[in-house]
Amino acid sequence: MHKEGVKKFPYYVGVNTLSQIATREDRVCVLNILGNESRTVTPVSHIYSGGNIVFGTMPGRSGQALDTKLGKIPVYNSVKEGLKAGLKFNTAVVYLPPSGVKDGVAEAVKHNPELKKVIILTEKVSASDARIIRAICQTNGIDVFGGNCLGVADAWNQVRIGGALGGNKPEESLVKGSIALFSNSGNFTTTMAVYLLTKGWGTTTSVSSGKDVYIHYGPREFFHALDNDDRSKGAIIYVEPGGYYEHELEINKPTVACVVGRWKARLTKACGHAGSLAGSGDDANAKEKWFMDYFGVKSIYTPQNPVVSKKGAVVTNIAYIPEALTKVMELNGIKPDFAPKGDLSLKCWFGSNANVKLPKDLDATVVKAESPYDEQIDHINKQIGAQFPRQSMKDTSAASMMDPGTQVTKVHNVSILDCSKKSLEENLVFSLLKRYPDEYGKNLANAAFNAYLNQNGEAANIAADAAREAESSPNSVLSAAISIIGKGKVRAALDASSLLLETFQGTGIETATDKFDHKALVKGLSAEAKKSLTAGKDDAAAKTLLKTVDGLGKKSIFIEFVKEAAGGNPSSDALLAAIWTTLGWEPLIKRSISKITLTALPWYSRIFSSFVGCSVPAEKQSKDSFCGVKNDELISKWSFTDASFLALIGRKPAEKERLEFSMLLGLIISNGPGTISAQGSKGAVSSDGPEDPARVQINKAFVGFLTHTGFAHGGNGFEAIAFLIDRFKGKGLADPSNKKHGIDLKAIADEYAKGYARYKADQKSLGNIEYIKIPCVNHPVFKGKEVNYDPRERFVASLFEEKGIYNVFLEFYHNLVRSLFESKVSSNVYCVNVDAVIAVILLKIVWEAFNSGKMTDREVESAAFTTFLFGRMIGCAAEIDDHINRGRNMDTRTAASKCSFVG
Amino acid sequence: MQLTGLYWGHKLLRKVEYPHAEVLGPEASVDQIKDLIKRCGQVFIKPIFKGGVGKKGKSGLIGRAKDLPHALQEKERLYFIEHKFGNNSAKADGVTFEGGVPAEHEVYFSITDSTLYRAPMMTITHHGGMDIEELPKDKIREVPFDPLTGLKSFHISNALTELGAPPEIISPLVQNLPKLWTLYNNYGLSTLELNPIRMMPDAKGRLVPVACDFKCSFDIDNPAWKRLDLPAHLFASDYSEFEQEINQLRTYQGQSDVFVMNPKGTITAPTFGGGANALVTELLGERATISSDFGGNPPYEKMFQISKIVFKYWIRQSNVLFVIGGKANNTDIYETFRAMADALRDHFNTYGPTPLFVVIGRGGPNLIRGMSYMRDTLENLKLPYRIFGHDSAMSEVVNYALNIDMWMEKDGRKQVAESLGLESGAKKSAKQPAGV
Repeated sequence: MHKEGVKKFPYYVGVNTLSQIATREDRVCVLNILGNESRTVTPVSHIYSGGNIVFGTMPGRSGQALDTKLGKIPVYNSVKEGLKAGLKFNTAVVYLPPSGVKDGVAEAVKHNPELKKVIILTEKVSASDARIIRAICQTNGIDVFGGNCLGVADAWNQVRIGGALGGNKPEESLVKGSIALFSNSGNFTTTMAVYLLTKGWGTTTSVSSGKDVYIHYGPREFFHALDNDDRSKGAIIYVEPGGYYEHELEINKPTVACVVGRWKARLTKACGHAGSLAGSGDDANAKEKWFMDYFGVKSIYTPQNPVVSKKGAVVTNIAYIPEALTKVMELNGIKPDFAPKGDLSLKCWFGSNANVKLPKDLDATVVKAESPYDEQIDHINKQIGAQFPRQSMKDTSAASMMDPGTQVTKVHNVSILDCSKKSLEENLVFSLLKRYPDEYGKNLANAAFNAYLNQNGEAANIAADAAREAESSPNSVLSAAISIIGKGKVRAALDASSLLLETFQGTGIETATDKFDHKALVKGLSAEAKKSLTAGKDDAAAKTLLKTVDGLGKKSIFIEFVKEAAGGNPSSDALLAAIWTTLGWEPLIKRSISKITLTALPWYSRIFSSFVGCSVPAEKQSKDSFCGVKNDELISKWSFTDASFLALIGRKPAEKERLEFSMLLGLIISNGPGTISAQGSKGAVSSDGPEDPARVQINKAFVGFLTHTGFAHGGNGFEAIAFLIDRFKGKGLADPSNKKHGIDLKAIADEYAKGYARYKADQKSLGNIEYIKIPCVNHPVFKGKEVNYDPRERFVASLFEEKGIYNVFLEFYHNLVRSLFESKVSSNVYCVNVDAVIAVILLKIVWEAFNSGKMTDREVESAAFTTFLFGRMIGCAAEIDDHINRGRNMDTRTAASKCSFVG
Repeated sequence: MQLTGLYWGHKLLRKVEYPHAEVLGPEASVDQIKDLIKRCGQVFIKPIFKGGVGKKGKSGLIGRAKDLPHALQEKERLYFIEHKFGNNSAKADGVTFEGGVPAEHEVYFSITDSTLYRAPMMTITHHGGMDIEELPKDKIREVPFDPLTGLKSFHISNALTELGAPPEIISPLVQNLPKLWTLYNNYGLSTLELNPIRMMPDAKGRLVPVACDFKCSFDIDNPAWKRLDLPAHLFASDYSEFEQEINQLRTYQGQSDVFVMNPKGTITAPTFGGGANALVTELLGERATISSDFGGNPPYEKMFQISKIVFKYWIRQSNVLFVIGGKANNTDIYETFRAMADALRDHFNTYGPTPLFVVIGRGGPNLIRGMSYMRDTLENLKLPYRIFGHDSAMSEVVNYALNIDMWMEKDGRKQVAESLGLESGAKKSAKQPAGV
């Protein structure tokens, strides 16, 4: 049962000519107008079509509106409500979810007798709903387009209804011309329109048909309407396998058919004979044949075999459509609509060989993109530095991640085991710049760190001392100090960094050591700016710092620039900024880091210096020296690793000690974003609001990290040291690095294991399960085998072996786990975990001082905790910078619904 | 999603009280089989396949036995038999024993949605039990009908009368066949076929149309099939492990259609849009690992999850990651590219780097932002890449990707591996993470 429409069809078809499909007179109601897809697409359609959308519906949203540049589109709860408000429409556009489509169409049909067209955008509408929709609309004399389509458009009328043909700029693709389009693919409807432009063809009406089982507006109807459309001189039809919609068509105007999907035949599993009946004769091969028969051509058109007739051509590649169409039209004496626009040759907009040599024919060069994309690319290329999308960074990090299988954390995709082979200064640079510095960069960093190491007379150190005197833990001591390294303290260096960025960002410099004539840039600086870069009388470190960086064998554009701008007398702040700009420039240009990071680097640098500087009591720092070493010597000759060792132990490390110390720090860097210290720093960033990065107090973020360490997290390393001290006290160990120590490690281990076995048994019999556990043995992941190993400890042990480093305490630990097994304390041989490695390295370093009474228990404990803070400072710097760049304001909060009350 | 055979079919037929041959499953005891033979005179032994497997009868996959030893012999032969059809093959997992149905007449019946009539359609002939495709058209009736009113008795009686069917079969068919529309319509079927229906005389001599085989397919977009409470494993063989994992993300917002093309392929191409999918899959041929359509403006999270799965399965064996689509109408290029770039970075972080050349061709909203995000990620991953605009012919971009793949195969992969600091470009099997 159907209403009568165009007489030749055995079913209802209302549209008699293509010009009726999308007209300026059509008035549209959009169902589910505020849904995700509609919200972005509908305003563009509305504006392009001159404001054809009368209202939209969305249950429960009555009274709201969809904003467009042409004004607000009102939203009603239902079609009925919109009509009651006096609004009229003849076309319903359906953006409802699949289960709601049938009901939505039924609603529109029931309440609006004037309804003439329904356009269904929704994908995955079930076939049973589709056949009912068809039946309802057939009965009521309504044309349906889709489902799963991108709607219809008319370049002559400048109207598009439903969907997004032409994307967000329909006028770019839908250019007025003489070719009508019908396509099973929504995307290709636009793509083909764009391709046609390259041979000078524009379009009339474009129909995206969809490719569901039910194609409501099919090729048969399209070709009928084409015949009656005087504007259309030819057509393109794009079809995919499946369905008999193209069978026995009547095509009277020149047409190019693009049939794709031969490969699909081999994926199809026909269901029985019915499947064979319904599905085998309608594959791509069959459809090609149908069209070849219509056009009277013997083969598929390709540029090499350009087979066309006056009636048309069949292609299997959309790229050949414009050419084939032009040839068909030529035979009909029809010329293109306008001069060709663009071409379809390969145009590479972005590219990189990434240090690989490509063959010449594959080495596609980057060309200027067509307008307006060229301007956008230019604009983006000028925007140096990475731009990270913001998201909630709660418990999330782009800086670090721990592999649950190996328990090894990676920072910027480098395993901390590999980090542990690098020096402190290298790791600090890496934490912020995501790459390790070269030798020149490392030396620059050392000079920058050590220039601000001495805290003599500084408020930060006074605060630290006061905290120390009050018996605060090392983390609290440093918190007091770092709180004072606020923005005001580093403003001059930050301003200098910003000045350098502003001055150089448009120059195209790729690396800081490129050759570059900066004279014009210096000339362009204001007198005030120059003055801000010049050293004052009391800037004692400036000269040494300048001399040091000048003597490093390379010339940095930025250092040379500040030198010249300051008349050869740059301030230490200007030099600090220039050093960090030198280090950060290439990562900035390569978009590894953002401008936010680049300009904040001096602040981080000052904090790192203060961390180490303030860990030393004021009494050991004078105006000219730090722990007895002259400032000038520190700046010009010392590495920051050595300076940190000096701060903790009071002397320069021996070569192997340096290696062990660096390894120790490297292993502590990070345990991923979930670790308490990282959480502290992230919370501090989050609460300042990273969406306005200028407001984030970087020093406060470090304080967040510091306050989130303590005797259980960071300070617990001492437990293992104390344990080892107890075991080795009075045993006459002189040099823990000497393999010939003459101590029977097995005997000590056996004795302890036996005692511990007794203790454990006693405690268990008393019902105490909270008995004291042996530090640094066993691990929740690395357990259960007969003999267990922590791979991280194995890594370090093998590195020790490779470097010829011996550590008696580590050997003791391996004896101990065996003795524990033999004494039946453990059912298998426990692993020696990575915390043991940290303890044994540190104890070995301080052993001589401790054994000779130069260091007290308390000092050793403090050194152990502070060492942890130095190492973790690296990882937290990475987290802080990451959170500032990616986080949202207050994103670390936990929703009340996820919190629980215990009481 | 297809079901073949009476083992599951009879459970569906019972829902609408349609008569079917007696059937025992693979768990049937010797006594039960013996009893069935006694009652029915003979049994047919048919292998159980999951999903659609083409024509079993012609392939010698149906056994017939009139005594127990013979029945057990056939059971042994068919229980795990492998059946090749077209490009596919399937392995049986069990057999059914179906009681013989004595009859003079065999009828073919099916319901599908006809694209010719754009309506549901019944196909019927009383020349059943054979390949219907081979019957001349005048011996078959194809009858479209109104979905609002459904398949009615008069459709059947008219069709059979026109065909000149023996009068004695018309009435029982008219009474029973409309039940099948209820099954078809209520449980989300897209094809239903009974062939043969054997017209068995009952005790009073009246003919009963007994279904002796069953085939159906389900409309994946219609959740009604879930009402049947069929075990999920029935459809598992329709999809590879990878396809199943992706299918779990299937929602109406954004496409996520995938097929495995060649498990040993070397180009992995997340493709956007059905058109691009058809074109690209055709041109890539055997070099493609998968054929995919991720168009329809998928949200970031969905695209990220999909990409993660695609990369997990395919990226380590691939030479080329090929992201391709036309000029998108509505798909946000920034969101989709950001999701893919983040997933690639995530993959490299989790499984370690792998030698890869990235080729991209795309257009659409937020294009340059999306492309530059991808560029920045690829730069940071130190991968070589080329990104083409929508003004390059898609087929040319495909050819470029093919040529890059061939070069990678020759010595490019080794070079890229070296540039990434990897020891060799040797391919690791899918799902085998490095560094874990």
